Amino acid sequence: MTWQNKILRVNLSNGSCEIEPLNMEWADAYLGSRGLGSKYLYEEMDPAADALSAENRIIFATGPLTGTMASTGGRYTVITKGPLTGGIACSNSGGKFGGELKMAGYDMLIIEGESERPVYLHIEDEKVEICDASEIWGKTVWETEDILAQKYADPLMRFAGIGQAGETLCRYACVVNDKHRAAGRSGVGAVMGAKKIKTIAVRGTTGVRNKDPKAFYDKVNEVNSRLDDRDGMSRDGTLAMIDVTNRFGSLPTRNNRSVSFEGAEKLNPEAMHTPNANGHTNIVTNGACFGCTIGCGRICKIDPTHFSVKDRPEYHGASGGLEYESAYALGSACGVDDIDAATFAGFICNEYGMDPISMGGTIAAAMELFDIGAIDETTTGGIKLEFGSAEALCQIAELTGKGEGFGADVAMGSKRLCEKYGHPDLSMTVKGQEFAAYDGRSMQGMGLAYATSNRGACHLRADPYEHDFETTEIAGKAEIVRDSQHVVAFLDSSGLCLFPGGCGWGVEDYRELVDAACDGDWSGEERMRETGERIWTLEKLFNLRAGLSKKDDTLPKRILEEPADVGTGKGLVCRLDEMLPEYYELSGWDAEGVPTAATLARLGLN
Amino acid sequence: MEISVTLFGGLRHFLPAGSSFNKCKIGVDEGASLEALLQRVPIPADKPYLVIVNDEKVSREAYADTRIQAGDDVVLLPPIKGG
Repeated sequence: MTWQNKILRVNLSNGSCEIEPLNMEWADAYLGSRGLGSKYLYEEMDPAADALSAENRIIFATGPLTGTMASTGGRYTVITKGPLTGGIACSNSGGKFGGELKMAGYDMLIIEGESERPVYLHIEDEKVEICDASEIWGKTVWETEDILAQKYADPLMRFAGIGQAGETLCRYACVVNDKHRAAGRSGVGAVMGAKKIKTIAVRGTTGVRNKDPKAFYDKVNEVNSRLDDRDGMSRDGTLAMIDVTNRFGSLPTRNNRSVSFEGAEKLNPEAMHTPNANGHTNIVTNGACFGCTIGCGRICKIDPTHFSVKDRPEYHGASGGLEYESAYALGSACGVDDIDAATFAGFICNEYGMDPISMGGTIAAAMELFDIGAIDETTTGGIKLEFGSAEALCQIAELTGKGEGFGADVAMGSKRLCEKYGHPDLSMTVKGQEFAAYDGRSMQGMGLAYATSNRGACHLRADPYEHDFETTEIAGKAEIVRDSQHVVAFLDSSGLCLFPGGCGWGVEDYRELVDAACDGDWSGEERMRETGERIWTLEKLFNLRAGLSKKDDTLPKRILEEPADVGTGKGLVCRLDEMLPEYYELSGWDAEGVPTAATLARLGLN
Repeated sequence: MEISVTLFGGLRHFLPAGSSFNKCKIGVDEGASLEALLQRVPIPADKPYLVIVNDEKVSREAYADTRIQAGDDVVLLPPIKGG
């Protein structure tokens, strides 16, 4: 226990829906969620297959603590081959969908094949049906959820699906659940679109069972007492980071031309909490996912007189607002300091189902292409795509969501966009995935973490933060990145969120929760680290079999050759060439970044 | 003299009463060290933070030797993570 010991397997090619037992030997080795889903994907498909082909699988995996009373125990992971990167995609989301899928009795939903016509999946415990989706195909995420919620008239039914961006195969389409929580990265929504599955509607009435209910209850109470608001997460959310990185000099600005944004104070928590000249305040309240006692989510409203929503009352309500990553991507990356415009672009991402990090990063690259004259208004359909233009940001966001006009180019992602227009060096990506909100010159460890991330540039695959804020010297960073990649892989596989780790929990708290809840002995630190390393290495093996190699463990030329202009890292480039060999060696990989036979044997990956 | 000190993120919890959103004024003697200034900011000793003075990071070892002047911009950043 707390695994449900059941998988739901749906084949869209032949219409079958079958329940099968979970492979408990694999659960013992990979825990759940990210790790266990990756194991199934690795075993069941050829990693070299096209991500948008019927051969790809898309897996919705809960963790053993998903659906339990542990704080933040509502996470699930979508695992598939990513159409943005060509490597493994494992994209994590909160909200309430994951808990509901677990309550329906499943550790995992595996979708294979592809449908000839648009369908959606309806799950109520063991009742499973593939339904015609002609009524909702072409609708937004929000419209789809409203239509089906009305149809089933069950306020506890949860949905995870795609908008038009997924249908039109936007390379960074995401899977959105609960209207504004998302498995956002790597284009997992495009895989749903290719398979013509619009959404998954799930309602569960079973419970979850823990190995030792009293020990688990006591541990939950103990650790929850530490998740108070002392770090301001419920008040400011992750947006608090924007002041830190801006002052430190690691806030990517104007496609990483700079590392500090003069307009950051118009996007920060103070701006979000302070009424504007019209008396409008951006933030309405904070929001929490299933079982979460932190509540970092931002629920916001756009000033109804703002140009983006004037005479568009459908956007006057409250919805998911700016968090740190979206404030960077839709703000500083594009040089935009208009909080309402960035909030609107974020709403569009949720409504049409796009990753705001990748969309913002791609628009930023397009703005630089426009700035140097590689594209012009004839390319963009008359839009003056200048850095700092809030109007252009909003226009392009809508076009991209619909896959229309120049938006179809932006939907390719910045790597393909910059290659198309002859300037591949202007794409701020790793493995084709856009940077998150940290610059790898002032944060050298983050640079290494981006370069070696199995799913492409990502701020949540390692934990170099503390050391990076302490020093730009590279000594010790390879070890910190490698060790934390393994720990994070374990935490992601538990079904809990990473954020308690920044709000008062230690790694041992996660481990003790898993041990109290799950069969087996999970109390040891060594097992946690080895499980995480096994997961990380398996992801690496998937990528190697998919055709990725050492050449993909790198950073854009700008980060390697153009010194940071201001801040703590002023004058520095990322010293990846010095850190990467050490990282490979510490990982037990050869000089080409391939795990050695001894490493594979140690991890049981032969 | 009074020095403007900005506390970001969760450090805002420790602003003295009457402070603005994230700023407070701390009175110190002319020529005071950064260490003397920080001792007057009511942040518990177990709370780590980074110090930026006029856009330059100051290491812990340099607090005592760093002189503060009227008009200096002092920013305290908590070591938060994620996004």
